[in-house]
Amino acid sequence: MQPNAVADLPQDQITLGEPLAQRAGMLWTAGALALSAAAVFGWLHADGMQWFLHSWLLNVTFYVSLSLGALWLVPILHLTRAGWAVAVRRLAEVMGANFGVLAILFVPVLLGIDTLYEWADPLAVQNDPLLSHKAPYLNVPFFVLRAILYLAVWWCLGRYLLVRSTEQDSSGDPNVTLRLERASAPALVILALTATFAAFDWIMALEARWYSTIFGVYYFSGAMVGVLAVLPLAALGLQQAGRLRGAITVEHYHDLGKLLFAFVVFWGYIAFSQFLLIWYGNIPEETQWYRRRLSDGWESLALVLLAGHLVIPFFGLLSRRAKRRAGILAFWSAWLLAMHWLDLYWLVMPAVEQPVSVLGAMIDVLLAVGMAALYLAAAARIAATRCLVPRRDPRLVESLVFENT
Amino acid sequence: MNNHEPTPNTPLPGVRVAGLLAEFDGPEPLRLAAERVRDLGYVHWDVYSPYPVHGIERAMGIRPTVLPWLVLLFGVAGCAAAILMQWWMNARDYPVLVSGKPLWSLPANIPIAFELVILFAAAAAFIGVLGLNRLPQFWHPVFSSPRFRRATTDGFFLGIEAQDPRFHETSTRELLESLGATTVETCFAPATRPGLPAWVRWAGVIGVLVALVPPLWIARARAIRADRPRVHPIQDMDFQPRYVAQGPGPLFADGRAMRPPVPGTIPRSQPPADSLLETGLDNGKPITHFPLPVSQALMVRGKERYEIYCAVCHGLAGDGRGPVAIRALERAEPGWVAPRSLHVDAVRQQPVGQLFQTITRGLNTMPSYAAQLTPEDRWAVVLYIRALQRSQNARLDDIPRDKRALLER
Amino acid sequence: MNTLAAPLEHDNTQNDPTRRPVLVTGPCDLASITETVSRIVEQPAPRAWYLALMVCGLGTLVFFGLVAYLISTGIGVWGNNSPVFWAFDIVNFVFWIGIGHAGTLISAILFLFRQKWRTSINRAAEAMTLFAVICAGLFPAIHVGRIWVIYWLAPYPNQMAIWPNFRSPLLWDVFAVSTYGTVSAMFWYLGMIPDLATLRDRATTPLRQAVYGALALGWRGSARQWHRYERAYLLLAALATPLVLSVHSVVSFDFATSVIPGWHTTIFPPYFVAGAIFSGFAMVVTLMVPARAFFGLKDLVTPRHLENMCKIILATGCMVGYAYGVEFFTAWYSGNGYERFAFANRALGPYAWAYWLMLGCNVLAPQLYWFKRWRTSPWRMVLVAVLVNVGMWFERFVIIVTSLSRDFLPSSWGFFKPTWVDLGMLAGSFALFLTLFLLFCRYLPMVAMAEVKAAIDGAGHGRVGSPSARAPVPREVQATP
Repeated sequence: MQPNAVADLPQDQITLGEPLAQRAGMLWTAGALALSAAAVFGWLHADGMQWFLHSWLLNVTFYVSLSLGALWLVPILHLTRAGWAVAVRRLAEVMGANFGVLAILFVPVLLGIDTLYEWADPLAVQNDPLLSHKAPYLNVPFFVLRAILYLAVWWCLGRYLLVRSTEQDSSGDPNVTLRLERASAPALVILALTATFAAFDWIMALEARWYSTIFGVYYFSGAMVGVLAVLPLAALGLQQAGRLRGAITVEHYHDLGKLLFAFVVFWGYIAFSQFLLIWYGNIPEETQWYRRRLSDGWESLALVLLAGHLVIPFFGLLSRRAKRRAGILAFWSAWLLAMHWLDLYWLVMPAVEQPVSVLGAMIDVLLAVGMAALYLAAAARIAATRCLVPRRDPRLVESLVFENT
Repeated sequence: MNNHEPTPNTPLPGVRVAGLLAEFDGPEPLRLAAERVRDLGYVHWDVYSPYPVHGIERAMGIRPTVLPWLVLLFGVAGCAAAILMQWWMNARDYPVLVSGKPLWSLPANIPIAFELVILFAAAAAFIGVLGLNRLPQFWHPVFSSPRFRRATTDGFFLGIEAQDPRFHETSTRELLESLGATTVETCFAPATRPGLPAWVRWAGVIGVLVALVPPLWIARARAIRADRPRVHPIQDMDFQPRYVAQGPGPLFADGRAMRPPVPGTIPRSQPPADSLLETGLDNGKPITHFPLPVSQALMVRGKERYEIYCAVCHGLAGDGRGPVAIRALERAEPGWVAPRSLHVDAVRQQPVGQLFQTITRGLNTMPSYAAQLTPEDRWAVVLYIRALQRSQNARLDDIPRDKRALLER
Repeated sequence: MNTLAAPLEHDNTQNDPTRRPVLVTGPCDLASITETVSRIVEQPAPRAWYLALMVCGLGTLVFFGLVAYLISTGIGVWGNNSPVFWAFDIVNFVFWIGIGHAGTLISAILFLFRQKWRTSINRAAEAMTLFAVICAGLFPAIHVGRIWVIYWLAPYPNQMAIWPNFRSPLLWDVFAVSTYGTVSAMFWYLGMIPDLATLRDRATTPLRQAVYGALALGWRGSARQWHRYERAYLLLAALATPLVLSVHSVVSFDFATSVIPGWHTTIFPPYFVAGAIFSGFAMVVTLMVPARAFFGLKDLVTPRHLENMCKIILATGCMVGYAYGVEFFTAWYSGNGYERFAFANRALGPYAWAYWLMLGCNVLAPQLYWFKRWRTSPWRMVLVAVLVNVGMWFERFVIIVTSLSRDFLPSSWGFFKPTWVDLGMLAGSFALFLTLFLLFCRYLPMVAMAEVKAAIDGAGHGRVGSPSARAPVPREVQATP
């Protein structure tokens, strides 16, 4: 087979290498320890593991959103035949394939359905006409089935996109690109539906009497902010570790920064739309959800989100310079990643109807850190056996030489 | 095609050399030439192309424009203006309460604030780019070259202006030819800047004068009085398809829209038939004799009417301590004249006609009660007032013998 | 699907991942591009253009006649009644605003995404936006009844000492649509300046030179001016992008801020925006397919351009379908009897025919674009595009009229029937739109020549064929067996 014209990227630049993979292996233990510690604290919280389970749900949906965002990004890049993104696409593919560990992490949510969701209690459903009405959809067996379905679909999709793309590393076959492009459109349709209903099931159903048709889009917008924040951090991290030095240029950071900026604004637009319409209609059935999140101290978090998730990063990422300096972009990426976590916090935790205590906060942080460690360890495992760059993608050269005006 | 012949454009009297214009084959030779010209330290020069050539800014050493900052500034100003406008207009100057929303509803103000940010910023970008580019500028020395027409189609040019310190007609020409120019020609400009053509000046003067007419007209209209109503182009409901009083109408045989008043109708201004009863005056002086036969029925009617209309101020006992009077005193109402007690000597000595006149015409704060009380009712009230006055100044002898025992209990 | 060996010069819809397709088929040097576009303006118009203009012009006169009739007689000449207070007037308004969105998307959003193929269609699409906004803006203006006091909507100091109610979405509309019209006009005009200069320099009569010269403001293509121009263009594109999202969102707020079932749902803003782009692109396809054939622009507006537009139609159509699905699910999930009824009423009530027509046109018809043949054959794609436009008009009709005719209280229910004035104005608005578009085609540069030239410069197709140093040079590949 004749090779395509490849970019001259040295082998050690585009693979993870042993030492890094070994260090990533330590993350498994670190993660498991953190999660266990959090479980202990959760038991100490003495509320029947309520805070712990909600916090677990929050963190799982956070990491799911990152991989979902990646699962969105990769097909869109294939479908639009993006040339600029090829150098960073493999990183997103690895994230998108990371659903194995996420599926395992999701199990405690299923075990804790009774604590998390009011409608899981048959007595409560019996006594409440609204919950009875929703029972054909909101019941434990169907919920579990759907969760398994979503995770299975995402796992398959993530694997498919990664494996096909990795295939091309050795075969160099341009038809792979075409096949991935053809698969991308149906993939996006499936993703849209599964992600929407996952958001409905896992987050919106925490308060089963409330509903919002835009909720799936809201979750999607946060997920995109998340993945576009992780990619510059991942790229920078790998470059600091001596990888991808020639592959990812300032132009890639610039473009990732532009997309991050765009999705920050998009998130703000979606969040504001939902708020404005519910505020304006002022119907108690709908405002109850916001009332809970704008009282008892939660309003401070809402203000933090408004300022920190929208206004400040808007001005921070506005200038060309901010997006072209990897250090500045990394700062805003880390900032926005934290803000995305806080956004999900604000969505999930008020359902507990307890104020945030020191113990609770410790649980939250331990779970976040623990799951981060496991997520990274799993991602490193996936990446260890593969190239960090789709080195025989026909558009790779274009990706390496393009310039922003 | 290198053109070594002297340029066909020879200077005419009153015309000066403005610079040299060199044409190049394509964007790449142009870019390289630009780098050289930049490196040689030329300042007043430019490159002309039908589209922005990639990399030409670096080649020419053009500094980034200030336009983005201008846009940001105006965008922020737009936001501030929008929020301020909405707050002041809806929450402060004329607070309007709509569907229970707060007077200053920041969420509801966001859409307009957003739009004004965009509008101000875009206007700044548009006006800014035209202003910074000094457009419109309908003439420039390069337009003196007929070849230059191709600059907007497929021509690539480099022009160096004569005002540049390093400009020298021959050496600069040689330089340009050495850089690969296919043609080098001289550009000309008028020796002196032509002023505005006379017709433009006249048009401007006339325009200004014409523009002054409307405000002067308005000022005049506001200063003088008019005897005719103003022009009223939108008629709204001024002319309605209905019949008017005193006007014609098809419904009745006599052709009038209105029916004539019934026989015996008298106008309000006409004096009453029995003036004594109606006014309580005899030749302008209040009468002293009661004009109606005094009966128990009249007294009862008077009491009833008094308690309805008069007691609120004058009190049930006629002592001026009715609830309205008490309240008015509490509130210290300005302009309130407290009703006098009806039992002071001055009022007891008033003739009945004067009492009647007071009720009919009103006095101080008390309005006229002619509309509420017919003349007969007014006389009944006067009768009752007399009874009240008697009651507050009675002697023991006035009480019937059989009722005196009640007092001792 | 294998890489084909068909030369890309003739059919640039073939998809070879190893190289980018050409954007301009046929001779693509600067002079011929200029010639292709300028001759439409410079040569006498073909007779068919006069015929089309006469027909559409007549329709426009009828439209304005109807408007005069409406203003002089009153809103009663329409079919609006209680409870259907908004009918064709607002349906047409939302429809035309939606159409306008494609132009801004092509101009601004595709520019930000560095999609060079937009350069052949953006001028016509922006013109279409402006004309659509004009058509749209007429309807709210005339539906107020007393149009002669419409200036009361503006916040000016007045002797009534009262200010407009900024809390009302209807007023947000006023600001949004006027901002949209203004910014679109500025963007469109700014983009035209270099092309107007081209027409000025090619002008053969003093009148043409004077008019185009005045409009071109003396543009001479100086690099210093280009630099600021490019920055301004980028800034306007970056501003127009959130603007276009916000305008149709604000229009959707007209409905979603109410409490009426079928209207009060949080997904309306992005759903309306997706629907607007959907219908807008369908209109662009409907206009550009005949225009390119008629005006000889087939080498500039290539099959690839049309295919890309069809793909966008398909994508936004799927988004609209997604919104339908989510709304339907949530109507059941909410347990709200009024919501459930509203949706049942749409499918089974007196306007069910409109609902099913809408579903057929909006959800089913664009699915044909999954098939390459329907994306690349001009007349097939126009058929689907026309169906999409019909479907989108009916979508606004279904949303507005069904929810109004049957809301909470059955005793208030009422039925709406359009009058001949309603229908006449709908047709007349199309006539106005097409009249403006025909005039644009004849007198203004239809394609952004300067932008097309800049786009192909990167591919090395300059006048002498010298490749630019920085652009990614397409490499010769041998396809793997």
